[in-house]
Formats: sequence, C-alpha cells, structure tokens
Amino acid sequence: MGRTAMSAGRVVGAATAVALVLGVSACGSSGSGDSAKAGGGFTYWSMWRSDEPQAKVLTAAIADFTAGTGIKVNVNWVGRDIAKKIGPAIAANQAPDLWDESDDNVYGATASAGQALDLSPVLEMQVPGENVPVSQVIPAKYFDMEPKDPSGGTHYVIPYEVATNAMFYNAADPAITAAMPTPPTDWAGLLKVCDALKAAGKACVASEGEDPWSNELFFDYLLNGAGVNVAQLAADKSGAAWDNPAVLAAAKQVDQLVKGGYLIPGYDATKYPAQETNWASGKAAFYMDGNYVTSEVAKEVPSSWKMSSLLPPTAKVPDATLFGFAIPKRAKHIDAAEQFIAYFMQKKEMIGISTTALNITPRADIPAPAELAGAQQALNSPTVRQTFDGAAGSWRPKVLDQNYLDFWHGKTTPEQFVAKCKADQVSYWQTQG
Amino acid sequence: MRIGTTAVWLLVAADLLLVLWIFLTSLRGGSDILKHGFSLPTSPRFGNYATALDQGGFAQAALNSVLTAVVSSLVAVVLAAPCAYALARRRSRTSSALTMTFAMGLGVPGQVLVVPLFVGLAKLDLTDSDLGLALVYVGLAMPFTVFLLTGFFSGIPAVLEEAAVLDGAGPLRAFVQVVLPVARGGLITAFLLQFITNWNETLFAIVLTNSQSKVTLPVALAEFVAAQQFNGLDYGTMFAGVCIILAPMIALFSWMGTRIIQGMTVGIGK
Amino acid sequence: MATTIQHPARADRAQNRSARAGATGVGPLERQRRRTFWPFTAPALAVYLVLFIAPVGYALWTSLYKWDGMGAMQWRGLKNYSLLFQDPSFCTSLVNTLELMVIGGTVTFVISFALTLVLREMRARLFARSVLFFPSLVNGMVFGIAAGFLFSPSGPVNQALRLFGVTTPPKWLSTDNLLPMVLGTLIWTATGYYTSIIMAAVDQIPDYFYEAAELDGAGAFQRFRHITLPCAWDVISVCAVLWTVSSVKIFELILLFGGSTNAFPPVSSWNTALYVYTEAFPQGTVPRLGMATAAAITSLVMVTVITIVLRRVLRREPIEY
Repeated sequence: MGRTAMSAGRVVGAATAVALVLGVSACGSSGSGDSAKAGGGFTYWSMWRSDEPQAKVLTAAIADFTAGTGIKVNVNWVGRDIAKKIGPAIAANQAPDLWDESDDNVYGATASAGQALDLSPVLEMQVPGENVPVSQVIPAKYFDMEPKDPSGGTHYVIPYEVATNAMFYNAADPAITAAMPTPPTDWAGLLKVCDALKAAGKACVASEGEDPWSNELFFDYLLNGAGVNVAQLAADKSGAAWDNPAVLAAAKQVDQLVKGGYLIPGYDATKYPAQETNWASGKAAFYMDGNYVTSEVAKEVPSSWKMSSLLPPTAKVPDATLFGFAIPKRAKHIDAAEQFIAYFMQKKEMIGISTTALNITPRADIPAPAELAGAQQALNSPTVRQTFDGAAGSWRPKVLDQNYLDFWHGKTTPEQFVAKCKADQVSYWQTQG
Repeated sequence: MRIGTTAVWLLVAADLLLVLWIFLTSLRGGSDILKHGFSLPTSPRFGNYATALDQGGFAQAALNSVLTAVVSSLVAVVLAAPCAYALARRRSRTSSALTMTFAMGLGVPGQVLVVPLFVGLAKLDLTDSDLGLALVYVGLAMPFTVFLLTGFFSGIPAVLEEAAVLDGAGPLRAFVQVVLPVARGGLITAFLLQFITNWNETLFAIVLTNSQSKVTLPVALAEFVAAQQFNGLDYGTMFAGVCIILAPMIALFSWMGTRIIQGMTVGIGK
Repeated sequence: MATTIQHPARADRAQNRSARAGATGVGPLERQRRRTFWPFTAPALAVYLVLFIAPVGYALWTSLYKWDGMGAMQWRGLKNYSLLFQDPSFCTSLVNTLELMVIGGTVTFVISFALTLVLREMRARLFARSVLFFPSLVNGMVFGIAAGFLFSPSGPVNQALRLFGVTTPPKWLSTDNLLPMVLGTLIWTATGYYTSIIMAAVDQIPDYFYEAAELDGAGAFQRFRHITLPCAWDVISVCAVLWTVSSVKIFELILLFGGSTNAFPPVSSWNTALYVYTEAFPQGTVPRLGMATAAAITSLVMVTVITIVLRRVLRREPIEY
C-alpha cells in the first residue's frame, strides 16, 4: 500500500508540474501580448535579426525616437522569413504596424494585393530637425521604378537602404588591371577581358551554380541592354514575348559565358557560399551580386582588397533594390508608425546604415562606405530600374529558375532555353487566376 | 560476410566521424572553415558557443524548444494514457472503431494540417506563441501516442486491476495506483519519443512562430542560415548552433538509447 | 520492463483471446470498464478531433475555394484540383514524392535486410546498431548544411573516392543531383531505423528454426527466404506502410539541402510538402491557400490509396510460433 500511495503522490506531483508549466507558459505569452497592445506604441517586424548591424542601427534610432516622442516601439526581429510570414499574418489580422523588406517583397506580398498603405503622407512629413519634407531627401526616381498597386500608387515602401547589382571585382588585383585597363564597352569587350584573364590563369566569373537569382542577373542586364522589359516578358500569358529575337540574342550572349569556359571551374558542383569564398580569395575576377556582397565577405578579404564594380557592358540602366519601411493597410497604429519612418529619414539616424551596416542609403548626402563608392555612383544615374524590372512572385521559381539553371549549367542551348521558358510560362499563367 | 562486416564498420565510422567533425568545426573561426572545410581547430574557440547562444539567439530558442517539447509531450502522454488504457481493455465495436480512427491519423502528412492549424490558431491569437505551438504538438502526438500506449497496455495482464477492483478500488484508483506504476516504462518511452519528435519538428515551427523570442531551435537555425545573405555568415557560430540542437539527442541517446530504439521499433511491430 | 515492451504484439493476441473468452459472463470489472470508457477516452478524443480531424476537414473545405487568406473566399469547386495537375511544378513535386517513396523505400529495405543479416553475426552488434540508428534522431537540416562541405569538389567524399581510383567524381552538389542527394541522405538516415525494426523482429525467430534448416542443408540465402522473410513478414508489411507515410512528410531536408539562401530550393527538388509550403507561404507574392490545401489533400489521398493497396498486397497469414 505504501508503494502505491507513493506512486499516487508522484502522479499528483507530475500533474501539478504540468499545470505549473502550462500556467507559466500561458502567462508568458499573454504578458508579451499585452505589451504589444499597449496604447501609444506600435509594433514593428523587421527583416533583420537582432545580431545584424542594420538591427543595431535601427535599435539605436528606436531608442532615440522613444526618448524624443514617448512612443514605445515593440520590435520583433523576425529575420528574412518575414517575406513569407507577412501575408499570413495580415490574413490573420495580426499584422504589425510597421515592417521592412526589399521593395519587390513588399510589392509581391502586400502591395500587389492592395494590402499596403499608401505612404504619400509620410513623404509630406517634415524630417525632424532638418526642415525639409521626406520627399526632399528620398529621390523620386526610386518610387518611379516601382510597379503600381491596385489603386495606382507607388508609395508603399519608403527606403532606408538601397542596393544595386553589379559585377564586383578587386581593383587592386594586378591580374585584373592588366586584363582590363579600361572597363569594356560592349559584350565582346567583356569576353576579351575574360580571355585575357583566362590566359593569365584566373577564372573570369565566379558563380554559385545552384543559385538562380544571381546568375539570372546577367540575363536581366543583357535584356535591359537589348531594350526588353523583363516584367512585360513575364506578364505575357501567350508566351509570345519570348519569340522576340532580342530575347534569344541575350540568351546567346549568356551562352557565350557558359560555353566559353569563362565561369569558374566546378561552379555547378558547389553550394553557396563556396564560390563567393573562391572569389574573395582571388581565384576568380568577377562576382555578380548585390552590393551587400561587400558586407558578406568583409571578414574574408585581405585589407589590400579594393572593391570596385561594373555593369555588364550593354546594360543601360542600373538596377536598384530598396530596403524600406511599409505599413499594412490593416495596421492599428498608423500615425505612430509613420512618425517613426519620418524620424529614421534623418541624416543622423540613417547614416548608421552607411557607417555601421556598411551599405548605401537613398540619401545622396550620406556618402557610401569607401568600397561602395562606385556602386553609389552608379545609383546616382537619373533613372534606375528594378531587378527583373519588378517581375515578382512565383514567376521566377516556377518559370525562369529551373530552366535558367539547366541553361547556365550548359545542358540546354539558348534555343531550347527560350522554348522551354515560353512553354512553362503558358502553363504557369493557366494555373494562376 | 567479412565484406559485409567491414561495410558496417565503415558506415559506423562514417557516422561517428561526421558527429566528431561537426563538433570540431564548431570550435573554429568562420572564414577559416570556408577556406578549409576539414582541418583541426588551431586553438579551440569556445567563444563560438557564447556567440551562438547570445547573439545567435540559440539560448532563447533552446529554452523555447525545451519548454514546448516537454510540455506538449507531457500533456500528450497524460491525455493519451487513459484513452489508450480504455481502448486496450474494452473490446466493443465502438472501441475498435475509435482505435481505427486514431490509427488513421498516423497516415495524415503534416502538410494537410499546416494551413488549417495556422488559420485556426491565428483566429485565437495563438500564432507566434509557444503555447500555440505546444498545443499543435499535443494534437499531432495523439495518433502515435494512443497507438503506442494501446499496444503497451494490452501487454499488461488484467489480473492486476481485477485484484484491485475486488479489493473495492474504483476504476480511477485502480488505473492510477495499480496500472500506471506498472506501465511506467511505456509512459516514459511514449514521452521520450514525443520529445524527440517535437525537438526536431520544423514545418509547424517555421510556420507558426516568427519572433526571435518565440522560435524553437530548428527555426533559429534556418533563420540564422538565411541571414547569411546580405551580412555574411559566421560558420563557426552556425556549427555551434548545430551542436546545440544535436547535444540533447546525443545525451538522451547515450543514456536511454536502448529504450528509445525499442520504443521506436517494437511498438511498430504490431 | 524491457521484455514487456518487446512483445506487445503477441501479448496483445493472447490478451485478445482471454478477453473474448471472459466476455461471456459480464463481471464487475467489465461493467466498470464500460462505465469509465467515455470519461477515459473523451479528453484525448476531443483534442484529436479539434486539432487533427477538424483541420483535415477544414483543409478539404478550403481546397474548394480561391483564397489568399486576406480577402474573401471565392467558390471554385474542383477547379483547384484541375489547375493543380496543369501546374508543371506540382507534377514534378508529385513525381518526386513518389520517387522518394518507391526508390527510397526499395533501397532502404534491401540495405536494411542486408545489414540485419550482417549484424546478426557480428560482435558488438548492439553498439553498431545504436550508431547506425542515431541519424534518424537528427534534424534533416543538419545534413543539408553538412553536405555543402562533405561533397564539395575538394571535400572528403571526393578525396576518399580518389583513394579508390575515382578521378572524375560526380558533381554531387549540382542542382540536377539535388533529388538523388536528398534520396541518398534519406536512405542513409532511415536505414538504421528500419534495420533496428527488422532486427527486433528477426531476433524473435526461435533459433531452432535455423538449426533445423541448417541440418537440412539449407544455405544462407535459403534460410533467409524460407525462415527469416516469412517470419518477419508481419513487421515488413507494417514497415512498408510506415515508410509510405513518413516519406511523404519529408520537408526540412529538402528545404535546407536546396535553398542555401532564403530562396526556395529549385522546383526539380520539390516534393508535395514543399509545394504546399511554397503555395501557402510564398516569398514576395500572395498566398494561394486553396491551391495549397488542394495539393495537401491530393497527397493525403495518394498516401491513403497506396497504404490500402500495400496492406492488401502484403497481407499474409501471420506465422505463430
């Protein structure tokens, strides 16, 4: 009997423990929920993790903002998955009052469905302490390139960081300066540079063969050079846009890179960031990526490295990716969130994106970090365009990516690539709707 | 036969070396790892663990993982045990129909439940909450835990309760005081298996949680890896994170390996 | 305790018989059991209904609508399903799922049996089994991360191959090899698990069966065919079902094997779980919950049909010993 009594005691003990833990966890979650709903504040979901430099800059700004205005900011450092989570969160009526992502994600996930707030009022607001409206410090060209949301607006994202994609290289590398005394002006010129590099025993282009996006940038820029708008190409439900000879011509130029053996050997047998590492250790001359690549490899490159960049020669307009704030239409504390956006547009706050996070800001009066001076120069172009001209959503994964990888790995010819994309695009549009 | 034995030992060696390599790599510097994936740490950098736990958010994530996994496994066993016992003891059409209903759940892949559970929990304001995640894990655990424990209770001779009932014990007391102590082994096994499943569960965790203060370890790892774009990745820290996920599994397995294997395998042989 | 765990199957059968025998006269115990049946089962059943069965029903319902989760739901009937089969990426996902199931299953079982035979006669078999079992407790993402290093062109796998004279190893990490690599990892992690199950079953076969066969002059293969296989048949058929179900659930392995940045892995490596995820939680576009749930229901139907067929095909008279 004594034994059973003890066991019963143990059972009761275990049950109590369960109840306790449940209670504690319930308290924990309701507690944080309450603070999120506290009046006078707003919630902010960030694309950064709290340990990233951008997060540190934003954290400092939030502290200043709260000290100055008394408005509390409830930050949730979500990380990159935010682009997948914002839609469902809005659907569930749990949208934050403010969030940030790249412009294509803001458009695709919210603005295209009419779920992003028009931020034109923010552009009218004064930048605290600077006596000018926000529209004065953020160039209009960044909004002009954006696709329109259902109500025709393009002011659904206010950028605090911009990036451009280009071919990055080390201008202090003698092998590269020997092969390329002046930047090439046409595609053949680039191939000539590649030949010279090859002769000198250096691979021309380092490429992560498994990553469709960065490799497609070549195609994107070549199409741009040939006057083809990728978004229009993607939007053609009949697929006929692929019959444009300029598209095939661009594909053939890409093919020259592949078949010419200008891509670093083994590029199709590794995983990111193996080739980025090879490039950073000087095994290849060029690496196509966003200018944030300088931050990605900052700890790897030697101090003698001099970061420079160039666009694929025929490209007319540099692309720009905006990283900025957006407000869901269903947000509950719009005023406070808008105030914070305007607050962060101050030079003294935004400058951290350049000095701490080592990236480019949309404000022309904030100099980019030295290694990105060239990229900022490119962005000073009177017009900019979106990467892939803003072709967003599942078109790339479902139509372009797979076919492009096959093509990039040399398994299909330019003709086959174009035909396959056309066919896949037709069935893609049949299943949308 | 000799070839077979050699092959088995090679496989065993490969498994062990892999774990060893992951551990050694977690003690090395990030750019060093990228340049030479395989070499010994020159001077062990235990700082990677501090970085992972603190800045990488793995400490909070580990806490969340432990909390959700322990609570949900406990609740699942507490709920499933009486049910399984009743199903095992009573032979009626209802009983076998119920047993079938639970067993059918074994065949439902998680992707069927993910959207409805997300929508449902969102309505209750339970997304991005460890309580919500634990709740989902309890639900997901039901089919297997009931199935496992039904088999287990069937193996316990009914004589015990018969004696207790003849002594005048009520059904609840007979169950709690007589059956449960005897069934302790099975309950622990059920708990362990559920704990392991929940510890490694990724799909629901990714979908249902997002803030760094709520995510579990698999999500923290996935997010940490995703952040390498734009800001680069410290591979040493990442491998430290991998070790943090692995460590409890290794510990549990060396401590109660036989029980785990038996629970995961013999319970199946029905 | 271990022995009790080890024989639930047979103990259950024995219990069955005794319960049936005793059911003729309804004793106080039986009455009590009837009275406590619902109170005991209700809590678990309620949780199961709310958190498991209802969501399946809800998924079925959602799959008949067009819904982005934010706006209103629009009735679509079965159109989502027909759209699904027009979508090449879904067809790829479905084919991949079947490939993982059938090829992975066959290879895993063949290797598991081979390992069982080897392990039976090995020293330190329990230790070896434990080590081989361990990968099934490891989150699939870990393998995805490790593979980038292990299989890099100058990585240890290629260097080991070079020792055996292989100078042009395959491009392991090429996107074309993504699915085979996932398959390989899957087989490797699952083999230990299934080996353990089969070993447990084989261990229960009485030794005198083998001794008698040996006296009759049966070779190793004949012993396997005429004793091991039939005696372990029960377990094998359960394993087949188990594999079918669990192979459809694979998710994180593919997610991190293929997508090393936060982009999705290439379509050529998707399975239905990934398809559902990408439709319901897409990056940079609105969710298509109707399509996602339709894809999920399709894979549920597929699993159900295959399971039923498997059970039929693999049904044999159990051998009692």
